[in-house]
Amino acid sequence: MSDLDREVAGIRCREVLKLLSSYLDGDLTEAEARRIDDHLRECDRCEHFGGRFSEAVAALRHELSRAAPLDPEVARRLRARLSDV
Amino acid sequence: MSEPDDRRLLLEASLGDRGAFERFVQRHEAAVFRLLRSSAADEADAEDALQEAFVAAWKGAGSYRGGASARGWILTIARNALRRSRRRRVGEPSTFEPLEELGLQAGWGRDDTLEGLARRQVLDRAMQMLGEEEREVLVLRELEDLPGEDVAEMLGITVAAMKSRLHRARLRFLAALREVTDE
Repeated sequence: MSDLDREVAGIRCREVLKLLSSYLDGDLTEAEARRIDDHLRECDRCEHFGGRFSEAVAALRHELSRAAPLDPEVARRLRARLSDV
Repeated sequence: MSEPDDRRLLLEASLGDRGAFERFVQRHEAAVFRLLRSSAADEADAEDALQEAFVAAWKGAGSYRGGASARGWILTIARNALRRSRRRRVGEPSTFEPLEELGLQAGWGRDDTLEGLARRQVLDRAMQMLGEEEREVLVLRELEDLPGEDVAEMLGITVAAMKSRLHRARLRFLAALREVTDE
């Protein structure tokens, strides 16, 4: 039995791992979300991992959401191609 | 005066207004190229698809009905342009590890902090370590913030399958981040 099989507040860590995105995205029912909340309150490992997971997703959205501007040469060639049609 | 919305720009472009189309291009070219670079075999293929996508958009501007977002519309055209070129990125592992394995790679059970989250270079490197499908769903859902239903439709999968792919992609991204910062 791995550590992920540990059951806390009526739900195993592996099930929490599986539902983490749905939990963060608000896709769970109120009852499901409450079960995860209860588990996280009592399970340090899942609580810690959930925090890192959430931080990584937030950093991705925040730091990379703005696409780098097109290289001027790529932009120039795009305009040249468009002027031909 | 406020900026005209995409629907208006495409309507004017469909009537032959190149200035309106240029504004549309300026608004979306960086996002289109980012998506293409995440999937194409190399930069040259991404650039070819970029050009073909906007040529197709210019010719088909009148077909945009304004239902879905124009960003989603042009990204779908770009994805199709790349698919036609048959030069999508290949050779990456498409292994399907159990979720538990992915969780452990992403650091479940580790009592530490994550470094480098504010550094674009670190995040970029982690993204580059992902497989094409994972990178693609993260670009569309997290970076472009397109609605889940639109992303599922673009990818040709159900919303449930898209959510499952997104969850695995997030876990892999976290695992990749750890690999980059542990180096």
